[in-house]
Amino acid sequence: MSDYILKTNHLSKKYHGKMALDKVDMAIAKGSIYGFIGQNGAGKSTFIRLITGLASPTAGSFELFGENSEQELIQARKRIGTIIEGPALYPHMTAAENLEAHRLLKGIPGKECIDQSLKLVGLQDTGRKKAKNFSLGMKQRLGLAIALLGDPEFLILDEPINGLDPMGVIEIRELLKKLNQEQEITMLISSHILSELHLLATHYGIIHEGKLLEQLSAKELNEKCQQYLHIKVDQPDKAATVLESELGTSEFEVVADGSIKLFAYTEMPGKVSKTLTDEGLILEQFMPMGEELEEYFTHRIGGVQHG
Amino acid sequence: MDNLMKTEWFKLRNDRSLWVLTGIIFAYAVLQTMMDRLDGGELTPLNDYYQYYALSFNEQIVSYIPCILAGFFITSEYSRGTMKSLASSGNNRIRIYFAKLVMFAAGAIIISLTMPVFMTVISAIVGFPGSLDWPYYLQTIGLTILYAAAFASIMALFSIMFTDSGKTVGFLLLFFMLADTMLGMISSKLTFLKPVHDNSVFQLSKKIIEINQVGGTEMIKMIVIPIGTFLVFGIVGSLIFKHKEIK
Repeated sequence: MSDYILKTNHLSKKYHGKMALDKVDMAIAKGSIYGFIGQNGAGKSTFIRLITGLASPTAGSFELFGENSEQELIQARKRIGTIIEGPALYPHMTAAENLEAHRLLKGIPGKECIDQSLKLVGLQDTGRKKAKNFSLGMKQRLGLAIALLGDPEFLILDEPINGLDPMGVIEIRELLKKLNQEQEITMLISSHILSELHLLATHYGIIHEGKLLEQLSAKELNEKCQQYLHIKVDQPDKAATVLESELGTSEFEVVADGSIKLFAYTEMPGKVSKTLTDEGLILEQFMPMGEELEEYFTHRIGGVQHG
Repeated sequence: MDNLMKTEWFKLRNDRSLWVLTGIIFAYAVLQTMMDRLDGGELTPLNDYYQYYALSFNEQIVSYIPCILAGFFITSEYSRGTMKSLASSGNNRIRIYFAKLVMFAAGAIIISLTMPVFMTVISAIVGFPGSLDWPYYLQTIGLTILYAAAFASIMALFSIMFTDSGKTVGFLLLFFMLADTMLGMISSKLTFLKPVHDNSVFQLSKKIIEINQVGGTEMIKMIVIPIGTFLVFGIVGSLIFKHKEIK
């Protein structure tokens, strides 16, 4: 049995002469939560659509649960739960009826799973309310309940926390963590809310213009995220001179608001603050900082772009 | 019944458009029959009333009204995103299509039988004279079921190609209004197409009403052609769906 739930090999998709996905080699290990990061149009949804069988690759291949033939892949998809580009709901049905339609589709015996799923996502009190009258957050929860029906081994979630209120975000995050830890459900989560993804993912894949730029673990990301000292003083120009002359470093950056990012001496903040105050500078702000996932992502794709 | 059929049956039972359409036809059947009963003139014999009122009007219902159901029951799966969960559910696309087609045909049959069944029942209850010619009645009901399924198969093929319910309904209504006339015009110029037109479900469905005057060979044709149409359009539709990219 492969240690990977999903492994792609040069997976490519071309639309109207343009590569939407270009030779993507991705591997998602069993038990991991894989954060899939990319701008709008980067290729995330195309990738998910290929894996879930909604579209066919132009070139390349992939293995799902170690299976790669057409018939085997169809069977393997019985073991996954999905939310693809938003929750797929029947608007004129209640939450329980929506779950019933999917229970029948998945061939799950007994109706107990419906109440259990509704309780799991906090929708047990929705009664006869139709899905069309749900808030976006409630729809997301129902979409998640549907994805979780039948105890899938692999969850593919496209923007699962979109539209949730702050409490809802925390609840869903905790639920996903719990499912991952207790039931070892592997997850592929694409999200624009990178700070939230940072709290959840064990691995990351960064996709840009159809190319998978990088795959790394959360540990590797933390190591790569550059640490620095955030310094705000009354005289930034003088502070820059002091850093060069007294501390002998040019590893700093004066930001537009006058604050300084010092990438050296991150292990010796006391020495830096003493040197600056000894030179008569007034420290307005002084704190150690680290580059966040968002900054790392922006840096990795080559600066701020508009997707 | 397998999982897909159960799912589609559950969705059909919960499809509001099916029950609204059926309800409207039912209401029309009741009102029309009552008005005909109460208009004071000489009452038409029960069997003639069935043949010349219920059945002749039903010809339009069989070929037009299910177009609306097709838009809501099939195409709207795309706009709701539920087609994605169906297609990624680990089921073969051909089986998905046929489950959908069979249940849509069931919906089309319910719509198509509402008028002949209820007009007959109500006209019998309110005292239209005479008795029903049961062999004729059962033959026409059977053929109505076959032709409703054949038309449903044609509708399903186009419904799976569009992703917008409105476009599907509009296109199908136009198609069913013009298909027979267009095929007739083309076959008058290209004579080799004449047998296709003459033996199409569009032409043959008009003969349901006079099935009591149809001979043995013609009767077999009346039965075989809608079944063949259902299968051919079903197979073509399933192959289109198999290769369709779902967005």
